[in-house]
Amino acid sequence: MLSAMDSNQKRFVEDALDLLNELDEGLLQLEANPQASAPLEQVFRTMHTIKGGANMFGFENIGELAHHLETLYDLVRQGKMPVSDGLISITLHAFDKVRDLLQEKDASKIANAESLKDHLKIAVQFLKSVETESASSVSNGSNSAITKDELATFFIRVSPTISMTPDGNHPLVFIIQDLEALGTAKTFCYKRGDATVIHWDIFLSTTTAQPEIESYFLFVENECKVEYSKLLASDLFSSDEFRQFIEQFEAAPVTVDVLQEVVKKLAATVENKTEHEAETEEPNAAGKKKFNDTYIKVSKRKIDDLLNWISELIILQAQLVNATSHINSVEITEVTEQLEMITSRLRDTSLEIGLVPIETLVTKFKRLVRDLSKTLNKKVNFLSEGAETEMDKDVIELMAEPMIHIIRNCIDHGIESPADRKMMGKSEHGTVKLKAFNSSSYVNIIISDDGKGINRESVLKKAIERGLVTADAVLTEEETLSLIFHPGLSTASTVSDVSGRGVGMDVVKQKINDLRGYVSIKSTPGKGTSIHIKLPLSRSIIEGLLVKVEETRYVVPLNVIDRIDRISYDTLIRDNHVNKTVVVNEEILPVFSLRKKFHNETAVPKTTDIISVTVNGVKKGIAVDRIEGKMQTVMKPLGDVYQHQDFIAGSTILGDGSLALVLDPARLFQLSEN
Amino acid sequence: MKTDSNAYLTFALGDEKFAIPVDHVQEVVEFGQVTKVPNAPLYMLGIINLRGRVLPLLDTKLKLGLTSTDRTKKSRIMVLDITTTDDKNLQIGATVDVAREVVEISANEIQEAPEFENLKTTAPITGIVNRQGDITLIMDITRVFSVSEVLELNRSLN
Repeated sequence: MLSAMDSNQKRFVEDALDLLNELDEGLLQLEANPQASAPLEQVFRTMHTIKGGANMFGFENIGELAHHLETLYDLVRQGKMPVSDGLISITLHAFDKVRDLLQEKDASKIANAESLKDHLKIAVQFLKSVETESASSVSNGSNSAITKDELATFFIRVSPTISMTPDGNHPLVFIIQDLEALGTAKTFCYKRGDATVIHWDIFLSTTTAQPEIESYFLFVENECKVEYSKLLASDLFSSDEFRQFIEQFEAAPVTVDVLQEVVKKLAATVENKTEHEAETEEPNAAGKKKFNDTYIKVSKRKIDDLLNWISELIILQAQLVNATSHINSVEITEVTEQLEMITSRLRDTSLEIGLVPIETLVTKFKRLVRDLSKTLNKKVNFLSEGAETEMDKDVIELMAEPMIHIIRNCIDHGIESPADRKMMGKSEHGTVKLKAFNSSSYVNIIISDDGKGINRESVLKKAIERGLVTADAVLTEEETLSLIFHPGLSTASTVSDVSGRGVGMDVVKQKINDLRGYVSIKSTPGKGTSIHIKLPLSRSIIEGLLVKVEETRYVVPLNVIDRIDRISYDTLIRDNHVNKTVVVNEEILPVFSLRKKFHNETAVPKTTDIISVTVNGVKKGIAVDRIEGKMQTVMKPLGDVYQHQDFIAGSTILGDGSLALVLDPARLFQLSEN
Repeated sequence: MKTDSNAYLTFALGDEKFAIPVDHVQEVVEFGQVTKVPNAPLYMLGIINLRGRVLPLLDTKLKLGLTSTDRTKKSRIMVLDITTTDDKNLQIGATVDVAREVVEISANEIQEAPEFENLKTTAPITGIVNRQGDITLIMDITRVFSVSEVLELNRSLN
């Protein structure tokens, strides 16, 4: 029986997919810090929510699975069993299945799916084995039940040994946040001039014992130094004097000796104050940290509609300015100027609506790195920086696959086995790093690894074998490396399960091209590879120069323009749309003439304006009849049928209702190369 | 898209009269300014601004392999919203020499299309209506503008 989902079920599926991402994130954190309570609580809470929703909307099979797994984590919470690799793995796999299942469009298929049964069985068995084990281990007391220590105040100094910023995505930053959630805490962060952290000083009053606090740093041992001092077996934060006293460390760090001295004096006043204060605060602090901004879920269609209306408003506003330009009235001018300002603000805000942080991708990648490094028996750390960088949601979704492919390559081909790394004097743990940041109207994503790098000779050899380049071709380093984007070229000498099927990097490049982005690659043998992806921030807004050729108007994106010069039209060589000998500003510039390429040469103008642009690091010129002015406007796609005219990025509606074509300079020049 | 509606829009290309299901037709508009997109095949006339929407404009006759005729006062643009055979949603303007009327054609009026010996066009004809010698050809517009075909043609002409 086929049954479409009702709107509640659809919403549940959407929410559940988000929750599954959070769950993944929580599970990975828990795996890294098995003793930490914040991720444990998060995992528990998330599963509980999934269970509730699933049962309510008729997906009892999902509810049942979530229920059994939740039971397991409840045992962990009660200290009856430890977090083990096995537990994390069965949970991850079970919810992977749920995620797959939720892609199904048919509600009854989800509800009646048999595929969850196996995972349910595994969970039930796991529970049984834990129960028998804990029954037998009660007598010898070997099970690591979490024993809570008495309330105490610690001074913890964390000095990273690698360079990091406090807002970065290094696990250490989260560990510090987790520590803060253990009780009442005050953290001071001391930074160098370049915003990198010298050390964190944390005052923490908690019931968590020191060994347990130490265990938080287990996985970042190589990246930081941690000093602990137990100041007092009591909550110093209950003392106003202490709180005031530590405020002064905002400016400069304290020494432990000074601290001990003062604490001794304070000790008398603090002793015997309420002990449960810190305890009650714990779960709240952990829960609240994440939600300092509120969110609502809006359907994509509504946002698209809104954007459409706003872009029409912008067009109307421009038309109004045009229509009233000859009227000499202060009132009208005032109104049109106000309107212009407000529409431009409205446009900026509306554009941001569709942007979401790339954090969701980062969670996916963490998971990928974990699973892959286990499969391949490699040790890999995944670091991310700038996960808060925002991008168009569609673009994020479209970029997931290509980026997963790149990261796969990093781990499979880039990072060496632990033994090899040791031999080369590297740390056994390889690092895959994702860095995201904004630059002008682009989002930059750099994925790098510290693996063995790309062997240029073997790339070149393979390319010659396959006839992609001639044997005597002289290629620059960059040209050689960019061969890996060529269809059908894969350098792995053995085809593995993970990558190396020979479809891959060319598809990656194609996807990025489709988004009008750029990709470049750098690699140092023995040191690693870094892939730089540059994507336009928004697919719809464009700032550009309006130009005219014959009767057609074009827009040249402003961000690539260096300068503009006017030369005599005759300077351009007849019958050749690309001129390599035009001298502009005392430099020889290859110039692409739009008129010669796309239009006829009757009634040519006396002069031609040369727009100098830099694309992919190369200076080139575009010759147009004349420049009409600067504009910022909404770009509309030309539609599928114009896919092959990709040197036109889109079109835009001008104030008078006519259309202008937005040029994509990089692709325009490609046109002349082919 | 299959519907129960029997309403068809009839139009003329040259001497011949065609009909397409009215569900595909959003509206019929007069010619306005057309902006040519360079380096495109001839039948891709350019783009038009339809009240803030940018639509590609295609020459239906050229697409069907007929000779294009000059634009007249009667020339119109059919604004089509079609899900093509390759499952793409396409919004385009398609030119016709004359847009006539919306008529009801019941299913039993439609005869199977014979194999034309001297078919002048490559139009995918799915049926014929003969009303006292007034012949109307029913065209499968989704096939005329299937994206893959349009793109293929586009590529080959490039």
